Amino acid sequence: MPEQEKYFNDLVKKYSEPLYWHVRAMVGSHEDTDDLLQEIFIKVWNAMPRFRGDSDVFTWLWRIATNETLSHLRKARVRAALSFVRIDTEAERISDPDPYFDGNEALRALRKAIASLPDKQRLVFTMRYYEDLSYEQISEITGTSVGALKASYHIAYEKIKQHLTE
Amino acid sequence: MNKKLPYSTPSGYFDSLQSRLSRIPARRTRFNFVPYLALAVSFSLLVLIGNYILTKSTASQPASDEAIIEYLIDSGTTLAQLENAVDY
Repeated sequence: MPEQEKYFNDLVKKYSEPLYWHVRAMVGSHEDTDDLLQEIFIKVWNAMPRFRGDSDVFTWLWRIATNETLSHLRKARVRAALSFVRIDTEAERISDPDPYFDGNEALRALRKAIASLPDKQRLVFTMRYYEDLSYEQISEITGTSVGALKASYHIAYEKIKQHLTE
Repeated sequence: MNKKLPYSTPSGYFDSLQSRLSRIPARRTRFNFVPYLALAVSFSLLVLIGNYILTKSTASQPASDEAIIEYLIDSGTTLAQLENAVDY
């Protein structure tokens, strides 16, 4: 087995599950996450010859996955706009019909509140809340300053609080 | 990590995911001629369309007398030059 393929398989073994949860926290639906993971690992395979180890593997993988996920969310929003689906409806779709949703009503409400956030705020919030990543790590992954991330998280937190008390 | 996430996956999902993802290198290293074929077809179409437009726009239509007169006036040709040309 060539060296690159062996390294790729090691990455799949080690990171496919945490990456799944990273994407799922953002996207919500299992099916969408599954499709996205295929795309992400194809990108990883294609980018491997150019990966020089300037950043660590974790940051590199999470950056690819995050960009791919944000692009998916943007496309979904445009698709929704073209088919005249209200964004609220799109946000509701994320939580409601998923057969792999295990939470109670409070968690369902939290998911809806997170799904209603703009992409960047949703990203920062899920990476902090669900993945316990530091602002410095998120900054390396997203290329956004720590200050801007803290502001985004604060705004996201306030919006969620407001959404849950309405 | 997923303790707080209220989600689950189908049973045995991560095993099947890993096996599907591990097949990516074999699929990606196979020679994919589709983009090259698409490029060749696009290029041929471009040449055909360009050729069609070019031949259509340069197809010789006899100019009317009015058009010739207007051209001569616009180009500042004098009567003397015209007479010389006719005599010639």
